[in-house]
Amino acid sequence: MAELELQNVIKEFGGLRVIHGIDLKVEDGEFVVFVGPSGCGKSTLLRMIAGLEEISGGDVLIDGAVVNEMPAAKRELAMVFQSYALYPHMSVRKNLAFGLETMKVPKAEIEQKVQEAADILQINELLERKPGQLSGGQRQRVAIGRAIVREPQIFLFDEPLSNLDAELRMQMRVEINRLHRRLGATMIFVTHDQVEAMTLADKIVVLRKGLIEQVGTPLELYNTPANVFVAGFLGSPRMNFLPGTITSVSGTTATIELEGGHSLTTEIPNPPAQGEVVTLGIRPESLVPVPEAEAVLSGEVQIAEQLGGETYVYVALPHGGTVTVEIKGQARVEAGDRLFLGFEGGKFHIFGADEKVIRHA
Amino acid sequence: MKALNESRATKVRRQVLRHFVLGFASILMIYPLLWMVMSSFKPDELIFSDPTALPTSFDLTSYFQGWFTFRESFTTFYMNSFIIAFFAVVGNLMACSMTAYAFARLEFRGRKIWFVLMLGTLMLPYHVTLVPQYVLFLKLGWVNTFLPLIVPKFLAVDAFFIFLMVQFFRGIPREIDEAAIMDGCGPWRIYWKIMLPLSTPVMATAAIFSFIWTYDDFLGPLIYLNDMSQYTVPLALRAFVDSSGGESLYGELFAMSTLSLVPVFIVFLAFQRLIIRGVALGALKR
Repeated sequence: MAELELQNVIKEFGGLRVIHGIDLKVEDGEFVVFVGPSGCGKSTLLRMIAGLEEISGGDVLIDGAVVNEMPAAKRELAMVFQSYALYPHMSVRKNLAFGLETMKVPKAEIEQKVQEAADILQINELLERKPGQLSGGQRQRVAIGRAIVREPQIFLFDEPLSNLDAELRMQMRVEINRLHRRLGATMIFVTHDQVEAMTLADKIVVLRKGLIEQVGTPLELYNTPANVFVAGFLGSPRMNFLPGTITSVSGTTATIELEGGHSLTTEIPNPPAQGEVVTLGIRPESLVPVPEAEAVLSGEVQIAEQLGGETYVYVALPHGGTVTVEIKGQARVEAGDRLFLGFEGGKFHIFGADEKVIRHA
Repeated sequence: MKALNESRATKVRRQVLRHFVLGFASILMIYPLLWMVMSSFKPDELIFSDPTALPTSFDLTSYFQGWFTFRESFTTFYMNSFIIAFFAVVGNLMACSMTAYAFARLEFRGRKIWFVLMLGTLMLPYHVTLVPQYVLFLKLGWVNTFLPLIVPKFLAVDAFFIFLMVQFFRGIPREIDEAAIMDGCGPWRIYWKIMLPLSTPVMATAAIFSFIWTYDDFLGPLIYLNDMSQYTVPLALRAFVDSSGGESLYGELFAMSTLSLVPVFIVFLAFQRLIIRGVALGALKR
């Protein structure tokens, strides 16, 4: 177990900068998830920590020691790859033992560690099989087992669940969570799936275009996103964004006129000047049907998705754009209905013209 | 209905014609081989007097006589051929796979240029380098030994095999290498423990071709081997034909030629299974 620190880490590929100076601290035993859209640099960052990718600038520290020049094997990390990367010609047992054999660990000790890992992951009956004879979920387990036997300081996961089907993904998510609790090890997990990020992480690092957008616990990021990107990236269905203009300001009270004519007045600590363009963000669950007189928005229902426990309603606004509304239970709404919507308990965010948040819900 | 029948008749006619043409072409191609095998069982005088006739009896005289015609028996020639072919196969597999691994996976200065240069040597005919090579080996005192036929194979001179292996190695997912790096492997261990075991199909292919080409090679042994005790099978076969106009031993020649095909068949059959197994292994990999 160990702490990890990134200090102004930069990565360039032939002059093209893909990681623009990242500072981050991962505490001992923490489960950190790097999340972001494809091409945001999250995998590159992980590979730099692993030692598979050279560091163009800045420092990577493990337990306070700079490891930039240290070979991957010496960093005492283990990595689980997206494609599992099991050795196809070796049995599961051999796959698990290979790293230890390379490190010249005594045979009896290898045997014991392989057995322990197999017990933890319940893959005892698979030990003599070749990877080609395993299902996707089993392969994934073996790949994790290969990481466990080495008792690494830090576990690195590079989108390990993206090749699994939805149900298996959920199951493995729970198992990885359980594994983290059981081993208490520091883990860094890369994914583009915000649900994985929300459910697994102690701390989420949202990345975009090689820069950190925000770092925080899942609920911090969900409740107080720093900008439009983070607000839109986390949460499913996605947050609704409504363009508006500041029509009047008095002290910390501002009035915003939304497209379509509705206005609302709210407190903003440092309100922008009159006439400035802002974006109002509201989560689908905070949009509620209200009587016509109280409505902030209104529109025609395009599609109503009945999921049983909740209903997702997609409402087309008269001035273009669509909002998603999440209604608890089985709402009696059909396509073509007219729906009047209000903001539940003022739970909306306001983002300035630079997309940074200026008011939290 | 009539049109349908007609078209079916045309189809049958076309099929028959196709089979006839293909059958004829096959016979045309295999005939020299059949003739050789048939002639090996005939007495010398019947070989040319009635070239198409099937042998009336399976007379093995030519085989026994052919084996012991020369000062050295064919046991020696086969041993020589096998020794050279064995080392050529081992040398080619080792040296070419290492070179291919370097080209496929390692980073070094000028890798692309070296690769192109290496491929360029494919276009160089053997005969162009023959004289300088001969002079070189003469100066080294290697002429009339097996060394000129063996040592170069350990220096990865066969660009074709290197190219074949580079292509194969590139097909192995890089993540497997990276997993091995995380497991503490250096390039050598990755090559030995990961790449080679995963490359049986390409290794078998290279081994088969390497064996057949070396075993069949006539020009190389002809140039470098002068002493009959060092002759390979093709050289010995040539010795049956008297180029100075004297009597040639055709019965013995055909008998020994027929026999000389056997190792090629065996090697092909043995390694072919490996190729098939290798392909099946590859199919399981995602």
